[in-house]
Amino acid sequence: MFNKRVMAVFKREVKERVISKGFIYMTILLPVFMFGIVGIQTYLYTEQSTKYNLIVISETQDLTSRIQDDILSSDLIKENYAFRFYTMSKEQLNNFLNENKKELLDEKITGVIYLPASALNDKKIEYYSKTPHNLKLSEKLSGHINKVLVDAYFNNKQLSQDELNFARQAVNFSGLKVTKEAGFEEEGYGSLVLSYLFTFLLYMSLLMMGQMILQSVIEEKTSKIVEVILSSVSSKELMTGKILGSAATGTLQMIIWLSPVVLVASTTLFALPPDITINVTTIQIVYLIVNFFFGLMIFLGLFATVGSIFDNSQDAQSGLWPVMILIIIPFFIAFSMIQNPNSAIGNAASLFPLANIIVMPARMVIVDVPLWQLFLTILINIATFFAIFPVAGKIYRVGILRTGKKPSWAEVVKWLKYRY
Amino acid sequence: MIALEVKNLTKRFDKILAVDDVSFEVPEGSIFGLIGRNGAGKTTTIRMMMNIYLPDKGEVTLRGSRVGQEFKNRVGYLPEERGLYKKMKVLDTLLYFAEIKGKSGKEVEKKAVEYLKRFELYDRRMSKIEDLSKGNQQKIQFITTVLHDPDFIILDEPFAGLDPINTNLLKEIILEMKEKGKVIIFSTHLIDYAEKMCDHLAMIDHGKIILKGALIDIKSKFAQRNVSLTYEGDISFLHNNHIVEKINNFGNTTGIRVKEPQYAQQLLRLLVDNNVQVKQFNANDISLYEIFIELAGREDGKEAANVQ
Repeated sequence: MFNKRVMAVFKREVKERVISKGFIYMTILLPVFMFGIVGIQTYLYTEQSTKYNLIVISETQDLTSRIQDDILSSDLIKENYAFRFYTMSKEQLNNFLNENKKELLDEKITGVIYLPASALNDKKIEYYSKTPHNLKLSEKLSGHINKVLVDAYFNNKQLSQDELNFARQAVNFSGLKVTKEAGFEEEGYGSLVLSYLFTFLLYMSLLMMGQMILQSVIEEKTSKIVEVILSSVSSKELMTGKILGSAATGTLQMIIWLSPVVLVASTTLFALPPDITINVTTIQIVYLIVNFFFGLMIFLGLFATVGSIFDNSQDAQSGLWPVMILIIIPFFIAFSMIQNPNSAIGNAASLFPLANIIVMPARMVIVDVPLWQLFLTILINIATFFAIFPVAGKIYRVGILRTGKKPSWAEVVKWLKYRY
Repeated sequence: MIALEVKNLTKRFDKILAVDDVSFEVPEGSIFGLIGRNGAGKTTTIRMMMNIYLPDKGEVTLRGSRVGQEFKNRVGYLPEERGLYKKMKVLDTLLYFAEIKGKSGKEVEKKAVEYLKRFELYDRRMSKIEDLSKGNQQKIQFITTVLHDPDFIILDEPFAGLDPINTNLLKEIILEMKEKGKVIIFSTHLIDYAEKMCDHLAMIDHGKIILKGALIDIKSKFAQRNVSLTYEGDISFLHNNHIVEKINNFGNTTGIRVKEPQYAQQLLRLLVDNNVQVKQFNANDISLYEIFIELAGREDGKEAANVQ
């Protein structure tokens, strides 16, 4: 099966793909784009440049001194926050707001936080600002204010300091991953991020490489070059060379895409916040790439077959739905599994032929998957390939030399009986 | 010596019997023509010879053994519908096609350059195929057919769609290959071309071989009682003459069949007596086209006659 002719086709295929603009753009731009989005989010989130000039007004002297003590002793002062503290009644506040309207509108004063005495009953406080819905600000301050209110509320009730501390504390979820090894690993969001990343990359690559081979088969068919080639190589050799070439290219692309992940996971060059550290082993990455290679070969075989049936891209796209379903459904299963890692469908799909290419990598980083299951999926994919290839090859062989009327599915099934 | 033997090839597509029990022999060193109308089964026969289609029945043997990959490696094939990779560079294209024939390395590259120089395309060797004119793309296609130095050249409707310059170029290549002792097989519906170029032929109609053999033998067999005439004037008086069996008008030439061989001389006298200006009078001569019409009937044959 692997001879000089297959090698020649393989080489041409790789060369054509790898130096194509589409490949270069996608390979470089996709990670840049993804990291860019993450980066922009992080940047916006931690943005330091805006100066917050806040005025905290309490209705009672007691609240004022408490909030002043708490905030001034916190880290907020080190950041770009400036505070002024006053005690005022509701009416005084209204006057104050009217007097300082200009500053508020010019954002010289970012906002005024009003803690009425009633807040000790209902924890309702008021925030006056040109832009009152500032999530970041409320997130930063609500903890402090809550603490002050809790302290003030319980102050004249007979409670021990321990009880107070408990009441003050917000709920803290620690995700602990159960693994085979002794002990539990504390786990952050890194696994979820990785799971999404794998799902997305695998999905993108399957679609992209699939479309590429589809177009390439249609081009060979419509430009009539296929007959010249078939006078030298057999259709099986041509198909093998094309699939191997595209699969190698896709795998190369996947390796390039995953190398930042490996770099982040295995070195300390990039300091990530502790709750998004990523935890992935070399075996898992190697598995992902190997399994992807075999899975990609199956899908490329299917895409090439669809391409061979049709004369033009439009017809081919409309005839592509059975293959698309095989990619899109696992994609959604993988996503749903990230939300519920123990779903039965997810577990089944992670072993199912074709579906496992996307689902298993997403699953293995959030659930502890035994190694034998990983090897099993590779074997399943290889077996699937050898089961599908003869049938696909037969349709391909008939299809590539056929032109004219768009064939029906029934006709395509009939091709299988042809002696070509 | 028979180089290639086609035995009882049969191919059916659904309800259509495209090739029906076709047999013929291609001698060593010959230019062999496979002649027939469009849709007669020529391309299907050639595809089976090339192992692109598997026959339902029959086989093709090369010097006694069944054709396979070895034959493919030694064949240069120019299909009727030609094509190249549009985005590939000229030189890369040539080397790729040689490589899938099992030829690679410096030697082939040198030959490719030689051909490019000869066809005045050397300065375009780094251009993409799509940037070449159609005529130049055809030249590249010829080079891919012969670059790997094949022993057999199979050309399916080689002259279809060629401009006059390339038509001559291709004829030149064909004759050059013949001198080198290669076997050339071509299919065509242009019977005049076949008559001028090939020395052996098979005629195929509705999937069946209706005539085969050496051109000379075929012609001499059919030429008796036949006169090929070029003239100016009016010959309508011949239609009811007792010595004439049949008149076929082919535009430039007219084929006249007389009832007995010895009537040919009388016919000439008759023409002269009736003031017909005789420009050419070939007794015992017949065009391949006349033979084809006689065997296959007229149908859409008129079209073929007018293509010169």
